[in-house]
Amino acid sequence: MPGGSADGGERLLELSDLSVGTDGRVLITDLDLCVREGEFVALLGPSGCGKTTLLRAVSGLIDPLEGAVLLRGEEAPGDHWPSFRRRVVLIQQTPVLLDQTVEENLRRPFDYVSAGEAGFPGDRAVSLLGVFGVDESRMSQNARSLSVGQQQRVCLVRALILQPDVLLLDEPTSALDPESVRSVEEVFVREARQRGMSALLVTHDRAQAERVCDRSVELDPYLTEEARFG
Amino acid sequence: MASPVQPMDLSWWQLAIAASLILISGAVSLALKLRMEKRLALASLRTIVQLGLVGYVLKWVFELDTLLALGPVFLLMIATATGAAIRRPERRYEGAARRAFFSLALTGLVITVTATRLIIGVDPWYAPSYFIPLLGMVLGNGMNGISLCLDHLLESFSLRRDMVEMELALGATSWESARGPVSSAVRRGMIPIINSMMVVGIVSLPGMMTGQILAGADPLRAVKYQIVIMFMIAAGTAMGSMLVAVLSYRALYNSRHQLVSDRIRSRKG
Repeated sequence: MPGGSADGGERLLELSDLSVGTDGRVLITDLDLCVREGEFVALLGPSGCGKTTLLRAVSGLIDPLEGAVLLRGEEAPGDHWPSFRRRVVLIQQTPVLLDQTVEENLRRPFDYVSAGEAGFPGDRAVSLLGVFGVDESRMSQNARSLSVGQQQRVCLVRALILQPDVLLLDEPTSALDPESVRSVEEVFVREARQRGMSALLVTHDRAQAERVCDRSVELDPYLTEEARFG
Repeated sequence: MASPVQPMDLSWWQLAIAASLILISGAVSLALKLRMEKRLALASLRTIVQLGLVGYVLKWVFELDTLLALGPVFLLMIATATGAAIRRPERRYEGAARRAFFSLALTGLVITVTATRLIIGVDPWYAPSYFIPLLGMVLGNGMNGISLCLDHLLESFSLRRDMVEMELALGATSWESARGPVSSAVRRGMIPIINSMMVVGIVSLPGMMTGQILAGADPLRAVKYQIVIMFMIAAGTAMGSMLVAVLSYRALYNSRHQLVSDRIRSRKG
């Protein structure tokens, strides 16, 4: 497993009595979970158990039915959701990119008001793309013309250069071919840990959870179990 | 050089000749079993009745020449244009009619008053014989623009929700995430009028200009009026589309910068 446990870290992301649902259905109830500084936590569960809905609620794209999401002990205040989401970045299961060049896609979040003074770290973006096996010449290519696997690598780089506190990962390697999963996952986890990021990974792949995370929580409507790896 | 043709009234017989063209078309349809004769007859009947009624109402309003007489006509025109504008999009949301009404009323009023008061210099500015036809032209095109714009905007928010939410998830505000769909919806709303402006005078002569020339006006004078009209229509369509797009996007997000896409309902569903 790359990196290691973060038992002693500060409490970073806390889900307190969180219940989520969609289309009038309650999917997860009263979930309590704490992700500490530098810690990688997996949420395991079968398809349809509410993993994606949970991550959408944690990132504030939807409201939870009950409970609260705290970052460093505080809820996202009123109008500051964009700043909160920049610190808790969601990476979706399938790559979502604008119909623009790779560079424009990577640059886009640095044009938002929530970026403040932060400028686009072009050199870092190019170097990270290289680490993921995407050549620099792709920067000027339309992102949607890349293969799905390469598009997802661009999405991972886009998240990493934002330097968030927490990465919310919704089965981020499911769009990759089986041979690439291990290498992409290793590079991603190494880069994220080197930058001190934490992660909440939802997956149904127990083996991946063991490879990538410090511990896992089983999402089950009737039973929530915790396992610690290492 | 020939003197300009004098304005002339048409007799009922002359109208009957025009109607005979429709009768011939109906007869051909009947002979070839195209089954369009009933719809053609109904459409022709509606044209006679609707325009006849409008003619009488306009005659009455023009004679009254007061703001009080103009008010109900203005509201009726805006309400009718609103109904047509929101009926066509495949999706809708609660409050769309209110926002379309406001957009059409505001742009219709601003553009038409600018034309009557500042450009043409009509006194009073609300003189119904100027105000109503000019407003009609602004609304006729504005409602099409608003209709196309709303259709495209709601389609983007429904079918491309992942794109909007990707931007939100990376720290975009609601406006930053909606800017793409809003600008492409406004561009969509402007397509018909931009196309018309590109070919005006080359492919066809606009109705108002043709009407003025047939009524004996100097073509150059008719052209000047037509340019004013085209600019009024383009500005009205742009302003109406922008206003309805901005008002609609605000109605589809909440204060937590979330896209509440279930506020959008499909007409089929």
